[in-house]
Amino acid sequence: MSSAAIRLERVSKRFDGRVVAVDDVSLEIAAGEFFALLGPSGCGKTTTLRMIAGFERPDSGRIHVGGADITDVAVHRRDMGMVFQSYALFPHRTVTENVAFGLRMRELPKPEIARRVEAALAQVALTGLEARRPAQLSGGQQQRVALARALVIEPRVLLCDEPLGALDRKLRQQMQFELKELQRRLGVTLVFVTHDQEEALAMSDRIAVMDRGRIEQVGTPAEIYGRPRTRFVADFIGEINFLESEPGAAPRALRPERVRLAPPGEGRVAGAIETANFLGGSTLYRVRGDDGRLLLARETHAGDRAPRDPGQRVGLVWSDEDAVTLER
Amino acid sequence: MRDLPRRPLRAAPDLRHHRKVIASRPTPVAWLIAPAALLFVLFFVLPFAVMATMSFFSHNPVSNPNAVLTFRHYQRFIDDSAGIFHEALLSTLRIGLITTAIALAIGYPLAHWMARMQSRLGHALLLMAVIAPMLTGIVVRTFAWMTLLQDKGVVNTLLISWGFTEKPLPLMYNEFGTVVALVHIYVPFMVLTLTGVIGRIDERLEQAARSLGASRARTFLEVTLPLSVPGILAGSLLVFALSISAYVTPSLMGGTSVLTLPMLIAQQVGTSFNPGFAGALGVILLTVSLAIVVAYNRILARLSGQGNLA
Repeated sequence: MSSAAIRLERVSKRFDGRVVAVDDVSLEIAAGEFFALLGPSGCGKTTTLRMIAGFERPDSGRIHVGGADITDVAVHRRDMGMVFQSYALFPHRTVTENVAFGLRMRELPKPEIARRVEAALAQVALTGLEARRPAQLSGGQQQRVALARALVIEPRVLLCDEPLGALDRKLRQQMQFELKELQRRLGVTLVFVTHDQEEALAMSDRIAVMDRGRIEQVGTPAEIYGRPRTRFVADFIGEINFLESEPGAAPRALRPERVRLAPPGEGRVAGAIETANFLGGSTLYRVRGDDGRLLLARETHAGDRAPRDPGQRVGLVWSDEDAVTLER
Repeated sequence: MRDLPRRPLRAAPDLRHHRKVIASRPTPVAWLIAPAALLFVLFFVLPFAVMATMSFFSHNPVSNPNAVLTFRHYQRFIDDSAGIFHEALLSTLRIGLITTAIALAIGYPLAHWMARMQSRLGHALLLMAVIAPMLTGIVVRTFAWMTLLQDKGVVNTLLISWGFTEKPLPLMYNEFGTVVALVHIYVPFMVLTLTGVIGRIDERLEQAARSLGASRARTFLEVTLPLSVPGILAGSLLVFALSISAYVTPSLMGGTSVLTLPMLIAQQVGTSFNPGFAGALGVILLTVSLAIVVAYNRILARLSGQGNLA
């Protein structure tokens, strides 16, 4: 399966009477990359995806796929697979008919359609459910049908709008692995939209964090998490402490796992644990300093150390090089 | 709780038993349909039963002690010695089918437009435009069509003055005029029924089809149209049922050249005082139209690839 690079060139989209949905976005997605558009609802990530798919036309800017300008190409000629959050399976058609739809539109010979549908269903482990209607499938199975339907046309680009959003947590985690594995095997360029930062961190090669129609930062999950560039990114991804800085100086931030809990008297801040969130492998503590400020500290449970109790007095220790300097 | 001793005691109650208790008692909501059920029995089931019974008696069995069971009303229709009964049935069905087909052809695009309209104001205005004609009575609207379509009416006067024709076109006192007026009167029923169904079709289904390579036309044929079949069915049945039972409009627009079964039935009851034959005509009309409805349902269900719809 061939894959294509995607390039967005100063793309903007405004919906009539409303604020700018996508504001001057430029983006390069490499061929074969697993790329996430991450942000809160209304940040423009879905509109960006829909412009790549062709459901929305940008007001300005150009979109290139595989080196060709596709800004004015109609949706059905773009050769892209799309997986919707609601799956959008045709309720009046069987699993086989759903998956065969794109091949039928391409007017391929019937034997080839049958062969490719069978292979696609085997790929997503749905063999045996060919004659079912979407309503007779579980959420996870519907998700796989949607995936098979989009992939069977061998698209150069696979677009996914919150593909796992409707699944429960356990299944979502399993599908994360499967989707990533499938993408690597096929080598298809995959762009997916999500508001779930954990999902974006877990699955993507690179992430674009969006806020209010603009791209805040693009980078690998490790970069985004470890070196957030702006206050928004730092705050949106995981937990973070914003440190006090001199007036006029750049803001600084510190991940909770970089903060060590020490006996009272040690460290930079003395205070008491206000709440303890037990997370299984670690516990996230909210510590109220004696000067009134709140700080988060994460402690992993090495051995069989029990979580600390709220009320316990502690000192907080960190080193300056663990703090990240933000641009704004 | 008979089978309780055989099971280990658990905190969870026996749900099977529980459900049974709940199901045996009607919920308060069920009582709300009681008035509708009563009306249905009182004003449809009962009259129809009386009518059907009467159609098998020679005279009114309540007032005439000599009344006997007979098949002669049906025999009279089948023999059709006057040569008008079969034609009346055919004319009724023809008017009903053509009216339904045209109402569907006009109503579908309108309903689609309305269902997919983004602007709330536009939707409200369109809805008002569809409903407004229903605020005037059928008689008034039929008279309006008469002033338009009669020989010296608006349409013919214009056509003659523009030189399209020399003699007035026969636009009414025939089935054409009847169908025109019926379509106008019943299109809102079609539109409202269809709008509800089309509006509930997820637009992402159409987008999915587009992304899979279907053109707009293909998307409509493969996705939108099959999924609106329940609406097409409901709207068509409504319009068909209303137009085959219409009385006022065919009488006024059809004049003497159109005779439909409802007109014939009114004659039998009102001037011939033959309720037995009128009842037989009613039963025949109902049977034939039910047969058409069942066939239509089958065909649509097969075309749309869905199971039985009604």
